[in-house]
Amino acid sequence: MEKTGDFVKVTTADDVSEGVLMPSQKEYLVVIKLDSGYNKAIRKDHVKNVEVLESYKPLAEKPVEEVPRSGLPTIAILHTGGTIASKVDYRTGGVTARFTPAELLEMFPELRDVANIRSRLISNMWSEDMRFAHYNLMAQAIKEQVQQGCKGVIITHGTDTLHYSAAALSFMFESLPIPVILVGSQRSSDRGSSDAAMNVICAARFITQTNFSDVAICMHAASDDLACVILPGTKTRKMHATRRDAFEPINALPWAHVSFEDRTITWLRNDWKQGALNDTKADIVYKPFKEDLRIAIIKTHPNMNASQFSAYKGYDGVIIEGFGLGGHAPINAIDMQTKEHHKIAESIKALIKGGTLVAAATQTVYGRVNMNVYSTGRDMKSMGVIGDGHDMTSETAFIKLAWLLSNYPKKDVPDLFIDNLHGEISSRSLYEEHDG
Amino acid sequence: MVDYKKLGFRCGLEIHQQVDSGKLFCRCPSIVHDANPTIEIHRRLRAVAGESGNIDAAAMYEMTKSKAMVYEGCDTSACLVEIDEEPPHGMDQDAIGVAIQVAKLLNARIVDEVLVMRKIVVDGSNVSGFQRTALIAENGYVTTSRGKVSVPTICLEEESAQKIESTPHHVQYRLDRLGVPLIEIATGSEILDPEHAQEVAEKLGMILRSTGKVKRGIGTIRQDVNVSITGGARTEIKGFQELKSIPKVIDYEIKRQIDLLAQKRPIVPEVRKAEQDLTTSFLRPMPGAQRMYPETDVPSVSLPRSLIDGIPLPKLLDVQIGELTKTYHLDLDIANTLVSDGLGPWFVRLCKECVNLKPSYIADTLLSLERQAKAKAGADIHISDKDMETLLHAVNASQAPKEAAIDIIVVMHQEKQPIKEVLSRFKPLSENEIESRIKTIIAKNPGMPFNALIGKVMAVLRGKADGKKITEMTKKMAGL
Repeated sequence: MEKTGDFVKVTTADDVSEGVLMPSQKEYLVVIKLDSGYNKAIRKDHVKNVEVLESYKPLAEKPVEEVPRSGLPTIAILHTGGTIASKVDYRTGGVTARFTPAELLEMFPELRDVANIRSRLISNMWSEDMRFAHYNLMAQAIKEQVQQGCKGVIITHGTDTLHYSAAALSFMFESLPIPVILVGSQRSSDRGSSDAAMNVICAARFITQTNFSDVAICMHAASDDLACVILPGTKTRKMHATRRDAFEPINALPWAHVSFEDRTITWLRNDWKQGALNDTKADIVYKPFKEDLRIAIIKTHPNMNASQFSAYKGYDGVIIEGFGLGGHAPINAIDMQTKEHHKIAESIKALIKGGTLVAAATQTVYGRVNMNVYSTGRDMKSMGVIGDGHDMTSETAFIKLAWLLSNYPKKDVPDLFIDNLHGEISSRSLYEEHDG
Repeated sequence: MVDYKKLGFRCGLEIHQQVDSGKLFCRCPSIVHDANPTIEIHRRLRAVAGESGNIDAAAMYEMTKSKAMVYEGCDTSACLVEIDEEPPHGMDQDAIGVAIQVAKLLNARIVDEVLVMRKIVVDGSNVSGFQRTALIAENGYVTTSRGKVSVPTICLEEESAQKIESTPHHVQYRLDRLGVPLIEIATGSEILDPEHAQEVAEKLGMILRSTGKVKRGIGTIRQDVNVSITGGARTEIKGFQELKSIPKVIDYEIKRQIDLLAQKRPIVPEVRKAEQDLTTSFLRPMPGAQRMYPETDVPSVSLPRSLIDGIPLPKLLDVQIGELTKTYHLDLDIANTLVSDGLGPWFVRLCKECVNLKPSYIADTLLSLERQAKAKAGADIHISDKDMETLLHAVNASQAPKEAAIDIIVVMHQEKQPIKEVLSRFKPLSENEIESRIKTIIAKNPGMPFNALIGKVMAVLRGKADGKKITEMTKKMAGL
């Protein structure tokens, strides 16, 4: 029986082709890679015979040891998945993670001059599959790296939920002696135009050239390959499905720009946390997530039904990503058509009465929650919906609610939720934080 | 006389022809223009390790040059796909249709399903670092006066960005052209000699144009020549504009290889660029199969037999030319020009609609009226297809004299009036009116010789009635 990678001869009624058998995305096709490099698809129902001319013998990859260079700081790279550090096997089409120091240095040779690399695989997953448990795994791995001694940690991460993880790690470590920089890529590292290398290299340079000691995100500042931006861990959001500069600070300014060409760092704020450590071992603690918590985000929209709220009965917490000023849900029964809204109000009350913490956030993305301006907000506040006055993204609000419920008595959570614990809430909304 | 057979001459062509459809992997129109750019993006490309960590030789070569790329473009002809900020959309269906037509005309076997590949290109001409390309058909052939030449592959791929400027530090590209569909036809290496290569290129060009759906003009078709001799190595030569340069380019390359062999110097496979004088210079190493891997962002396109059979086979241009000379008695030159300008079907329709006009007059009007009007007005004039039809219909219905055609166009241009308006002024005079004007002229010039008289009559009536008719009436009325 032929297998992927075999050199085969495929015969149909009117055609004979030879090539390497490739994996097929459609079960009705046989795909072979021709000598020219092109893949050719042949319908299985046209195939008369497949003959294996040469069996596939995978090349043994010999592990390469990197010898640390003296005088350079150490950076630990923790790999969680995503396209930032992956390799396509062009023979089989399979994608594998690359995370050994040697592999990383092969992909990003510029790192050799920046730092010695230590690396660890935490998981190899799409970021949409992240759960609270993975935040705990990441935190534990960071702790171990700090205990072993290093100048900083880079976490490679899929971009879809990268900002959730950044917020989670920010809350978990009350104080960090070193920087932890999350890095993703919007264009996979198997293409010449990938943003992965520049993001990783800028993160590494930022770690070695500054005393910054916090959780942050390093991604492209613009569509150009000119500079990366260092973004706050609790106030950043993925704002574009595909662009390199998808990550933007929300209701905040970035920490700094890292120029790729001239390797300079330009600070855009001066309120960043400075670490005392310089590549030495330290002991740190973190507050983990309860892995069995049940927290949800409900996004309001026109024509809602009460069951969309009552479905979360028994949950530990719910973020209502409401309209406008935040938390606004359709709770006003004003005519024949809005009778359901009375039931929605009752459902929200029932959730709160049942012990679920219900907090407000806004789906406008930018701006601050204010539940005092309209009667809808005031009514929801009096029902017991918490969160008035914060300017967190709903993603950060979600992570914060889960982390607070994991580590504090429930009675303290409403107040802590609107307290600024890790830069997630600013007391002033500045004009330049959103220039449209 | 060079004995090419004895030299072990091997030669094949690669023809790249732009398709006249939307772009291949996004819904931008494929228009190339020179409007001021509204987008400017700075990028760098990195070499990417292929299978088992090998970096393609051609890719590595470009990487070592490590120049910064600047891309300029306009919203009208480039979107996020061109700047590699959005994954490709599905393949353009029209372009696939044209590629299938070409495959059929070249007797090739069309694949069951179109799989898109990424071909690594790191000179910056593709923003992504690769060119998307797909095999459409295999094992075709083209018939020439000296036998069949095989066509092993026909591919559909995306056009590269156009280089605007290159300095030691950066290369500037323009994005309009990036993503325009290209049909790539590769012939086998059994071309007999340089003259034969030119014939094959001409024949393939004619076949491509026969679809009526390929772009025309400078740069819309490019020919690459692959050539080697015994003891030499395969060289790919790019970058010459004219088909008639092919024999010379090949002869120079053979001479280069013979000279190197005589000096016992090694010849390596490489891509060379044709210079103005048609000699060649090193461009980059020959790329290998190493540079191809699947484009996983684009779903494959199924080509069921029913779909392929449903795509009509266009009439070849040389068949169309033969028909025009036979059915409409056109001169070969005129028929040739009509067909190669893509005016054949229009001409045939107008002949059917304007039965009072001679086909040769219609052909002549289509081909030269614009030029004549330009010459007369001394200005740049463009006649729209619609105006051309209106004018021919008016002449056919005797609502405008043939002789007035140039003037009508000139007046339209000078006064910026619609054609209907201008036509009403050139309405032919009734027979009575003509008669009375001729009468007046004869009365004023009694006994004038006919030649002088007809001159005076024509000066008044030219363009207002059929010339032949005026002559006949003058003759009759003057009693001559």
